[in-house]
Amino acid sequence: MSGDSLPLTLPLPRFATESCEASALYRELRQPLLRYLVCLGLPADEAQDVVQDAFLALHQHLAASGSQENIRAWLFRVAHNRARNRQQSYDRRFGAPLDSDFDSVVDEATPEQAVLRKEKFRRLGEAIRLLNEPERECLLLRAGGLRYREIGQVLGIPTSTVGDTVDRAIRKLVEKCHV
Amino acid sequence: MCDFSGKLIAWMDRELTECEAEAVERHVRACAECRRRIHEFEEVSRAFAGYCDAAVKVPPRAGLPYWVPTVSSAAAVAALLLVFLRPLVQPVPLPPRVAQAAPTIAVQTAPGVAPPVRPRHMITQVKTPVMSWEQAEPAIRIAIPAEAIFPPGAVPEGVNFVAELSIAADGSAQALRLQP
Repeated sequence: MSGDSLPLTLPLPRFATESCEASALYRELRQPLLRYLVCLGLPADEAQDVVQDAFLALHQHLAASGSQENIRAWLFRVAHNRARNRQQSYDRRFGAPLDSDFDSVVDEATPEQAVLRKEKFRRLGEAIRLLNEPERECLLLRAGGLRYREIGQVLGIPTSTVGDTVDRAIRKLVEKCHV
Repeated sequence: MCDFSGKLIAWMDRELTECEAEAVERHVRACAECRRRIHEFEEVSRAFAGYCDAAVKVPPRAGLPYWVPTVSSAAAVAALLLVFLRPLVQPVPLPPRVAQAAPTIAVQTAPGVAPPVRPRHMITQVKTPVMSWEQAEPAIRIAIPAEAIFPPGAVPEGVNFVAELSIAADGSAQALRLQP
């Protein structure tokens, strides 16, 4: 059987490295991506599909020796664009972004704490709805751990604009919520 | 308002240059108002992240996607058509007399008659065969279960009828003959 062994020149190490890298990215970014897409207004099942599509695209990108620079921003941009395409195609299916009923997820120890938390969510939800779309998207990507430069790459806007937008959005929320 | 107020969020997010960050840090140590503002910004940032997490945990609303009823209806109609039409319409092999019904074609395609060899550039008038539709025998046969025509019990079970359909020249049904 030793004569049938594979030659060592096969690109298996490179494939294994890409596969490991894609797996690590999947573990790290799946949940932030899912959260970002759901908060954009996609239903959970659609968000799952888009995340899978995005990671499939990532696998193809890495297999085609695509650039590995800013791969996190690349992945978010792919997911963002696909989500927007779906929203434009099936607009009537999607609810308003971050428009959810949190009654079922508030499970505080005491009823008083549950009421306070629900009230906090309600006020925050109202404040978030007052943000414009770029402000909401910037805050969502910031909450996903992206740097301003990466947010700019995802949304196609300059880094300085991201900084101004995040600053404005946070101040609006503070003003409306009084947290 | 403090001069550094506009840089506080970028400082929190570590988006300032090292030099700028040091200046803001020195200022924040000395300015209670900026420390209060930073606390508010951190609180609202945490609350926003918690709100997003809760949005992901919210179970999907009841109700099916809009295309489900359409696809389900189409599938049900297709299934019904398959169930009901399959025993009614069965392909019946055409009898040999159908081929004889078109004599002009049969003559031209008869085996064993070698076509005359003609030199090139000789164009002869081709006689177009006249299709006699009225002489054509029924070419469509449909097997129909007896219970689909007669009331239950009128005909022994398992008896089928073959419907021979003659089609007129204009495409309309000329005659329908049922044979057990």
